[in-house]
Amino acid sequence: MTDLDPNEDVNSPNTAEEEQIALQVVLDFCAAAGGTMEAELTDKQGSHLMISLTGVDADETWGKTGQILDALQLLLNHILAHRIRGDVRIMLDAGNYRSRRIESLRAHARELAAEVKSRNMECELEPLPSHERRIIHSELADDPDVETYSEGSDRDRHVVIAPRK
Amino acid sequence: MENLLEFLVKALVDEPDQVNITEVQQEQSTTYEVRVAPGDLGKVIGKQGRIANALRTVTKAAAMKHKRKVYVEIIA
Repeated sequence: MTDLDPNEDVNSPNTAEEEQIALQVVLDFCAAAGGTMEAELTDKQGSHLMISLTGVDADETWGKTGQILDALQLLLNHILAHRIRGDVRIMLDAGNYRSRRIESLRAHARELAAEVKSRNMECELEPLPSHERRIIHSELADDPDVETYSEGSDRDRHVVIAPRK
Repeated sequence: MENLLEFLVKALVDEPDQVNITEVQQEQSTTYEVRVAPGDLGKVIGKQGRIANALRTVTKAAAMKHKRKVYVEIIA
């Protein structure tokens, strides 16, 4: 027997009520967008909830580019912050865009790291949003031969992969 | 598309009753004029216009399906 509150997920700082409200924000969006999509909570990372949209519109409209998905995610997080206080945030996926993108960023990071090692020269990536830069940093964090850092500001902020001294 | 824009704008502001969206049809495009209570302007524009830009991106994405060019203007 434990005396843990069954409603409290030890891995998540969010309450069940906050998570329900976050999901409801996305479901309300689906209804306003014509009601052909479904939304499901698919993963949790800290206070971030991965909520995935499925359906024809998710594939053909919302998951078409990262720019569209990020714009929608920004709006839904502002709506959520307007409904509740707290740190819960929505990471939105549509038509598996994020998981495909994460895989391709990781592969890209490994390819560039290999090149940095063989030429012993640093290499700049294209500008990426912060959550995508984090994927590059964490993919190469355990590589003993290269280090990564970000430089530039705002829209120009990008990762640099350099040989580790 | 107008439903979606209306939902987003109303959910962002403190005074949803004061939200008014007018659809203006032009030959090649549609413009949505968004009006909100004066105190809510910042909530639909955002720092450096980030929310306004996101509203434009999302409305354009929704309109692609209808092959229609759309603009969103926030009227102060």
